[in-house]
Amino acid sequence: MSNALMQTHDASTMAGLKTDQLFINLGPQHPSTHGVLRIGLTIEGEVIVKAVPDIGYLHRGTEKLSEVRNYHHCVVLTDRWDYVSAMPNNLVFCLAAEKLAGVKTTPRADALRVIMCEMNRIASHLLFFGTYGIDLGAYTPFLYAFREREMVLDLFEMLCGARLTYNYIRLGGVMVDASPEWLKRTSEFLEYFKPRLDEYDTLLTYNPIFMARTKGIGIVSAAEAKDWALSGPNLRGSGVNYDVRKFAPYSGYENYDFEVPLGKDGSCWDRYFCRVSEMRQSVRIVSQAIAKLPEGPFQASGFAKVPKPIAGESYANVEASRGDLGIYLASDGGISPYRMHVHAPSFINLAMLQDKLVGMKVSDVIALLGSIDIVLGEVDR
Amino acid sequence: MIKYFANVFNNSRAIVQGHWITLKYMFKPAVTIHYPDEKLVPFEKFRGALLFDQQVCISCNLCVKACPSNCIQLENAKNETGKKIAKVEWYSIDFGKCNFCRLCEEACPTKPKSVWHSLDYEVIFVKRDEMVRCWKKDFPFVGKYFDRKTQDFMDAEGQVSIHDVQPRRS
Ligand code: SF4
Ligand code: SF4
Repeated sequence: MSNALMQTHDASTMAGLKTDQLFINLGPQHPSTHGVLRIGLTIEGEVIVKAVPDIGYLHRGTEKLSEVRNYHHCVVLTDRWDYVSAMPNNLVFCLAAEKLAGVKTTPRADALRVIMCEMNRIASHLLFFGTYGIDLGAYTPFLYAFREREMVLDLFEMLCGARLTYNYIRLGGVMVDASPEWLKRTSEFLEYFKPRLDEYDTLLTYNPIFMARTKGIGIVSAAEAKDWALSGPNLRGSGVNYDVRKFAPYSGYENYDFEVPLGKDGSCWDRYFCRVSEMRQSVRIVSQAIAKLPEGPFQASGFAKVPKPIAGESYANVEASRGDLGIYLASDGGISPYRMHVHAPSFINLAMLQDKLVGMKVSDVIALLGSIDIVLGEVDR
Repeated sequence: MIKYFANVFNNSRAIVQGHWITLKYMFKPAVTIHYPDEKLVPFEKFRGALLFDQQVCISCNLCVKACPSNCIQLENAKNETGKKIAKVEWYSIDFGKCNFCRLCEEACPTKPKSVWHSLDYEVIFVKRDEMVRCWKKDFPFVGKYFDRKTQDFMDAEGQVSIHDVQPRRS
């Protein structure tokens, strides 16, 4: 038994006790790992002494696959990274490819992209809100969250025909224009959704039992968060004000008025709270975008059927639902990318687990794992 | 002691508040659908299983090139003198690979589209053979599959069709 660990126990009761270390597998099939993640936990009593996250169960090699497909085909592949919020994936690839090809999108396409990404952020955070409640033993919020999430997915289905893998944001624009009917329904949804957020707060956010299980658990200090290169709500939960939408605005995010919610001490509750507050901000952004949706074409001209960008490199990053999603594209002038690399926020956020889990109780593992909100499709790509 | 009671009070209040919200929705109509008995009809743009019309297709290969996962194959038909004509001899889609991405439908130049997404979300396959749908002359829109055991084309029985008449898009 290590000395550091002894201190976490009551020394008097533990002194004469000899405990064995026990190795347990959390996952790959575990309802709370949200995908196929295995964590090898070495525990002593109830305290974790070592945690080894094991990934790769969902590896599909999309980075390699993109090297034999043209740029339009690659957009389809991007849907499969973070399948809970696929719009930002589409967007980041298109931004990188448009930089390479030197094509400018139209204002209407930009606004539609913003609307879709923010709606997707709402859907993704709703999934987090529901499942995090389940992880900690609160089933009811899940049902309410999915009721609303279903409406968002219906809106997506109405516009682009798919509920998860959209393939909506295309090179140079978007797939189809939003009809006035769709915009009206979206506005109606936003109106319906705003009071629901207050209900969520009553059901879960300020519930004393939930707060007792998440406040002060899994604290990540601002310095640690920066050291681990976290991004998204995980970083902002620690109080670091970094949001790509504000710092390097893309697709016209500089024209919208919104705030970046920040947490205080980086506990599980703060990360959770950041996400719930982000939903409110997303509602604000979407309403503004709908209110001043510019007229015009939704697809820029000048993108060939099979685009052949000049040789070069480009990097684009966006604030996806889970953090700073970046993509690096290198082209040798051919029809397919020479190399594509994905800077996936989930993968980087996950790395923190091996350090943070040590010293925690087994029952808190799920609280921490749920609060960093990973999607394994993006971790493994 | 006061703290203890305050704690009890706060927790009970939260439980009552939570139940109040649930109670509010209890008397509203349910939002769920009892699936096999009731079925949702997807929106008109829904990307369901692909259908194909052998009569309209001009065998231009654009859908084959547009597909990101190479699931479409076709062969040109020939006339008596052995010259290629603008019709397909056979056309097949491998649903095991299909992404349901609509790139093939967008690429198709004919009017109405020769290959299009139906609203069918209940595509069920029990065998590997069934995943490869094939269309030849006079085959229905849903196609048939080639059963390797019987060496014959079989109707796609696994596919429970939601809409008897498949909506056709232009
Ligand atoms: S929907 Fe996409 S993946 Fe499926 S056949 Fe058409 S182009 Fe290929
Ligand atoms: S289905 Fe359409 S795109 Fe494909 S070969 Fe026939 S006409 Fe051409």
